[in-house]
Amino acid sequence: MADVKLGIAGRTYDVHCADGQEPQLLNLAAVVDEKVRAMPGGTEVRQLLFAALMLADEAQEAKGKAAKAEPQSDSLRAAVALAESREAQARDELKAARAELDALKKAPPSNPAPPNPASAKPSHDRALLQIADRIETLATRIEQLP
Amino acid sequence: MDMELDLDESSLAIGRIERALSRIETALTERANRPAAKVPPSDSGDQSALKAEVAAVIGELDRLISEAKNG
Repeated sequence: MADVKLGIAGRTYDVHCADGQEPQLLNLAAVVDEKVRAMPGGTEVRQLLFAALMLADEAQEAKGKAAKAEPQSDSLRAAVALAESREAQARDELKAARAELDALKKAPPSNPAPPNPASAKPSHDRALLQIADRIETLATRIEQLP
Repeated sequence: MDMELDLDESSLAIGRIERALSRIETALTERANRPAAKVPPSDSGDQSALKAEVAAVIGELDRLISEAKNG
């Protein structure tokens, strides 16, 4: 334990505190002393009473502000969580897109599929068969030329 | 052994076209190698129709090749 001498309202008080807490205790005593000095006149007890009331008022006000700030900090925490979740999702999407891009780069170039291959192919087949007929007829005619 | 011969209509048609072109090439080569005096003059109307048909078939083939290239 440490012994500390506190000067408040012109009087010295000997108090004990845990080792290492002396600066903090001196600091608190200075705050009380400042409040006491802020209201001159009256007895020492009255000065200490008003200082205590003012400090209690400040403490209550600080608690009120903290309570009001809590919902805001909850909203902020929720916003941060949402942003983190979206960031993770965006990172996953980016990763997938990169993988897709790499796969496309590695894939051999291919001609785009015809708009309607199912209908286009039979039509081409028919045209080819017709041409085969015509060329066969031509070949026969050329072979028969005198 | 169960084997499936996958020859679609276009492959069959292309095979027929190749064989017909080969026949034409052979016939034209034989004709070119004949002595000029022995080649009798043929009907000019027939020849024009033949040329027109050859041109039409080539045009049709070009169209098909272009369609195949452009999908």
